Formats: sequence, C-alpha cells, structure tokens
Amino acid sequence: MSAIRTLLARPWIWSYIGALIVWLAAITFTGGYGAGGMITAALSLAVFMVIVGIGQMFVITLGPGNVDLSLPANIGLASAVAMKVMGGSNSMIAVGLIAALASGMAVGAFNYLLIRALRIPPIIATLSSSFIVLSIDIAYGRGLQIKPPPAFADFTNIQFFGVPILAIGGAIFAFLAGIALQRMIYGRSVLAIGQNMRAAWLAGIPVERIRFFTYTLSGALGGINGALLAGYFRGASVDIGNEYLLSSIAVVVIGGTSVAGGKANVPGIWGAALFLVLLLTMLNTFGVSAGVRLLLTGLIIVGVITAAGGQKALR
Amino acid sequence: MRKSPVVGALALLLLAGAAHADTSAKKIAFSNNYAGNSWRQAMLKSYDIITKKAVADGIVAASDVFTTADQEVPTQAAQIQNLILQGYDAIVINAGSPDALNGAVKQACDAGIVVVSFDGIVTEPCAYRVVVDFKAMGKEQVTQMAKFQPKGGNLLEIRGLAGTSIDEEIHAGILEGIAANPQFKIVNSVTGNWDQTTAQKAVATVLPSLPDIVGVVDQGGDGYGAAQAFAAAGKPRPTIILGNRQDELAWWKEQKAKDGYQTWSASIAPGVSSLAFWVAQQVLDGRTDIPHDLLVPYLAFTQEDFEAALPNIPEGGVATHEYTQADAIEAIKANIK
Repeated sequence: MSAIRTLLARPWIWSYIGALIVWLAAITFTGGYGAGGMITAALSLAVFMVIVGIGQMFVITLGPGNVDLSLPANIGLASAVAMKVMGGSNSMIAVGLIAALASGMAVGAFNYLLIRALRIPPIIATLSSSFIVLSIDIAYGRGLQIKPPPAFADFTNIQFFGVPILAIGGAIFAFLAGIALQRMIYGRSVLAIGQNMRAAWLAGIPVERIRFFTYTLSGALGGINGALLAGYFRGASVDIGNEYLLSSIAVVVIGGTSVAGGKANVPGIWGAALFLVLLLTMLNTFGVSAGVRLLLTGLIIVGVITAAGGQKALR
Repeated sequence: MRKSPVVGALALLLLAGAAHADTSAKKIAFSNNYAGNSWRQAMLKSYDIITKKAVADGIVAASDVFTTADQEVPTQAAQIQNLILQGYDAIVINAGSPDALNGAVKQACDAGIVVVSFDGIVTEPCAYRVVVDFKAMGKEQVTQMAKFQPKGGNLLEIRGLAGTSIDEEIHAGILEGIAANPQFKIVNSVTGNWDQTTAQKAVATVLPSLPDIVGVVDQGGDGYGAAQAFAAAGKPRPTIILGNRQDELAWWKEQKAKDGYQTWSASIAPGVSSLAFWVAQQVLDGRTDIPHDLLVPYLAFTQEDFEAALPNIPEGGVATHEYTQADAIEAIKANIK
C-alpha cells in the first residue's frame, strides 16, 4: 500500500497513467485490434518529443521566464542542413549529423547571446531568433523536400520486436539525462539556479556559464532532432519542427516538471510524450473531425495537468 | 485638315497603348498566409517570375509580396488592412479562411481596391475568385480509384487544412465520388494539412486500428507521407492518389518500375498565383465583363504522361505552370457565358 502511495506521490506517474488510459480507450474502441501497432507507432513518434523535451526541461528548470521558443525553426534549419550536407550519400551521414548538431548549437548559443548581451527576456529573445532562423531556412532550403541517404532513412525505421531503435536510443539518452540532472554538478547547478538565481550565484555556482551551456544544449538537441526527423519523415522541410513548439513545453509540464523552475524530472517526459501521441492515436481512431480533435486535446491536457497538480496540493 | 494625320496617329497610339498604359501606374500587392511547404514556395516563385517581368515591362508599377508566416486569420486580416492604407490598387489573396477575411476584403473593395483571391478563396461577393475545380478533382480521384481497384474496398481519406474552402470542396467531391461508386467505403479520415510530415504522423497513428485499406484519397502533398507510413507499419501498399510533388512522382516511377504500380496524380498548379495576378491586372485595365467566379482546370498526370513531366520538376518541388497574360485573357473568355 505504501509502495503505491510512494509511486502516486511521484509527479511523473500521472503522465503514464494518462497514456495508459487513452491507449486502453483506443483499443477498447477497436476491440483489441492493433494494440501492439499503436504502441510501436507511439514509440516512434514520441521519441522526437522526448529529445527536444529534455532540452526544454533543462531550460525551463533554469527558473521563471526561461523557455526556448526557437526549437521549431531550429529543427527546420537543422533538418535542411543535415540533408544538404548528406546530399543523399551514405558516406556523408556522420558529417551531416555533426553539421546538424553544429547548426543547433549555433542557434542555442545565439539565443544566449541575445539574452545575455542584449538583456532581452528569454521568451522574446528565442522567439525573435526563431524568426531569423526561419528566414535563413526558407532562403537556404527553398521549401524543398531534400531526401535523406537510403542507409540513414532505413536506420530510422529499424525495430526490435516492435520497439524502434530510435526509441531505445531515446530511452538510453533519457536515462543519462536523468543522471546528469540528479547526480551531476551540472544538473544540480541548473536546479539551484532555478530555485534562486542569486543564492546560487552567492554559493559560487557559475550561473552564466551554466545558462549558456543549457541554451546551447537545448539548441543542440533541436539540431539532432531535426536530422532524425528528416530521416524518419524522408526529407527536410521548413515546417518539420512546427509541432515541437507546443509539444516540447507540454511534455515538460505534463511530465511533472515545475514551470516555475527549480524542480524537474526526466521519466515524466517519456510518459507525457507517449500520452500526447496516444491521445492523437485515440482521437484519430475514433475518427473525430479536426475541430473536435483540437478541442478535446486541449481539454484533456488541462485535465491531466490539473490532476497532477491537485495531487501535489494534497501532499 | 493638315493636322489630321498627326491627330490620327495620336489616336492610334492611344488605342494601341490602351491595353497596357492604363495599368502602368498601378500597384498590386499579394497577401499570402503561408510559405512553409514546397507548393507554396513554387507558388511564390511562379508569382515572382511573372510579376518581376511585368514590372520590368512597365505593365504595372509595383508588385509586392506579403507573407504572414503563421497561418493565422487575424494576422492576415490586419495585413490586408495595412495594404489598404498603403494605397495598393489591387490585392491578390491566398486566404487562410473562406469567410473570416470577408470584413477586411469588404473594406478593401469599399476603398476602390480590386481583390482577387485564388487557391484559398474568400466568399465576399465583391472579390474575384480564381477557383480550381476542386470538387471535380475530388470526384475524379474516386473515379480513377475505381479503375485501379475495380472490386472496391476500404479507403483512407487524408484531409487538408481544416476550415479552408479547398479542404471542404475536395472532401465534398470525394463524397460525391463515393456515392457514385458505392463499392468503396471511407473507413477513417485523418488530417494531413497538405504536408508530408503531418500526413505521415496522422496515418501512422491511425493505421494499426484500420482494416485492410485498398486506396488512399487525399488532397496533394500528403501521398508520399502516407506511403511512408504504410511502409513503416509493414502494411501492404495501397493505391495512393498523388498530388504532383516531385517526390511523389519519383516514388510512383520507382514503384512502377518494380511491379507496374498504377495510380493517378492531380493538384492545383502553384502557378495559378500568376493567373490571379493577370486577372487583377485585367480588372485594373478597365475590363468590366470579367465574372467574379473564374473556374480554371487542375493539373493532372496519368500513368502514361507522368514520367515525361518528372524531369521538369525541381528536386523536392512540385509540378507547376506559369500563366501569361494571354493565358489569363483566354481563361476569362472561357468563363464568359
């Protein structure tokens, strides 16, 4: 009993409960048909939210006002950079991935520069940098779908017993990020800054260096995500990352990380990403119209956040 | 009498110049609500090619393009109001909503501005609409499907951007086609927003729960994504109607070479933006006989002719056709009953 209570007290458990409920609702509707296929599809799509979600989590944890709104544009540009550098040739895959990583890190570092040097609040800084990056991408990619090399495209589709290789990689990455957050000096510093920036500074934490690193990390993850998306969706495009503005923040919040900063957890991001994808799966399976789907998505997300928040108040 | 040859020559000059001179001082703006996919990029490019030349030739004084990036209707409405204040003589619109911009469009008309909408049209009566017969295109998809899948079966429908006239028209056409071919049944419909990535995601989430699908009816830009989703889920490849994108036609060629795969491809040519421009120019030129609703044909490719068209489409782009002033005059003539 106490084990269950400890489990329920974890802020991230609600996202997994939500994911389980919408999955059960979807397979009840189909009479159990396609239950495994839905999990496979959910894992393949959720991993992209997890990658950027973890970057966003570190940024949000830095404290009130910290958020990276440049992710969609960053992802779009990195996808184009990766595909152009790879140029459809298998031998250039590694170079393309490094180029995407570099493109993402450059966007992240630029964000920090705007925030630090020009003293622009992060919301405005990352939003305006996203417009700049978007324009660069439109000029650079010309809205064309550039195809990935065959080996890279095939790699993104590999599955082991229904578990996509990208999801396995995403799980390992999330595990490492969890260690970095809770057990390493970097993660503890981020949490400390989020709780009280001045106290962290007085305690001798290199606040600005940590912030710089965090925004660059978020940018780098956006860059890698862009390259992987272009591989999985067989082509780079300007709006390939559009979805990840809302969903990167949503997975952080639904996953039980505090929007006010200073309190974060990694497992919840996976739960929340699975929840969001399975929610879409459920609504698509029910065959509701686009308008109803958006309405229900909004209402259900509010419901889950309220449920998770309500539990916290009881403690 | 001595002056008469000069006067006559002057009169002749005026008459000859009438078709061009009248609009040489006019400024035409283009209000566009989205630029993020290959179709829209081709649309902007065609528009750019045609209008740059028109400005250089002195047919119009200026032609400027204004794109709102976020697909938001209020942003576009505000933008149209700005264009009115900036004193443009005509506004060409690709609208984000068939009726939500009507207020702004009416204001433009009241200010004496010619409004020509295309692709995403506006319903305000004072505006001109250059419309591709999307309903016929939707219906033809099912007719073609009946050729490839004579036994009929389950269809998956991929819808476009919700709330646009295009999505509603194509959907209505598909339903009409289904009514005429009752051997087909739409078992589910998902939203693909004419975008490969969105379509692939939507189809991937819905595929596990679906019975066997014989065909996919869609709206263009979503066919390749649907094909990828079927492949990723390890499901048999259905007959997927395509939408003239280079990657779609290249995929078709690949499948055809492999096992003689048959399908059909149709879409609105992005260059219809240039047709809308010429219609605006013709109205500014003083023509009063132009109907407010102009129906123009869609661009389709069949099993026989798609491979010939493929090399002309830029890698990652979409098949298009740029319209000339003569094309526009021809299209207007075809619509005058």
